[in-house]
Amino acid sequence: MSENRKQILAMLAEGRINADEAERLLAALDGSAPPAAKALAAGAPKYLRVLMEADDKHGGEVRSKINIRVPLQLLRAGVKLASLLPPEAREQMNAALHDKGVGLDINQIKPENLDELIANLKDVSIDITGKKNRHATIRVFCE
Amino acid sequence: MMPPLLATIRIERKDGRRLRLWLPLFLFWLIALPFVVVALPVVAVVLAVMGRRPFAIIAAYWAVLGALSGTDIELNGRRSLVAMHVY
Repeated sequence: MSENRKQILAMLAEGRINADEAERLLAALDGSAPPAAKALAAGAPKYLRVLMEADDKHGGEVRSKINIRVPLQLLRAGVKLASLLPPEAREQMNAALHDKGVGLDINQIKPENLDELIANLKDVSIDITGKKNRHATIRVFCE
Repeated sequence: MMPPLLATIRIERKDGRRLRLWLPLFLFWLIALPFVVVALPVVAVVLAVMGRRPFAIIAAYWAVLGALSGTDIELNGRRSLVAMHVY
């Protein structure tokens, strides 16, 4: 057992710190990170890929395809920027989203939530059938 | 963290016509640099007067700019393909 670890445990035994604080200190000593960050480091995805294939509206055999690759760093930077928006601007954005039928609260998008989402976002596939039986498939994954 | 230095736009039509554009963004940054140097302190003061956090906001914008590299967008439609890549 290292000297630092002994010191932390001694502080805990003496009641100078509580169990939560001791756990945090031990985790910091181990260089441990939260589970989401750990998962990220293990797989280390760098990009978010969005693939969409949709039936052509003219009914041809050719399908329209959209392939977008966004650096995850850009998403993190965007979330950080969004957190700096003034509250009145965020309220306006929330109201505009609500008007469009999107039940998303901008205030809930935080960097730690994004990390958790990325850590859990292995491969999401969505199939949509629209008007006139037109199909679209959307795949979202990190790579 | 560096801002993107180059972007390419590729347009391919199904009839065989192609267009490839190289956009040297570093030239834009070079031109914009003197204006940014002059404008940034003014912006910082205005933000501070408005009660915002100027350094955090400028840093956040810089982070967004710096993270743009690697963005790739490809739209493949019935008649043409449009692809953009930021280096």
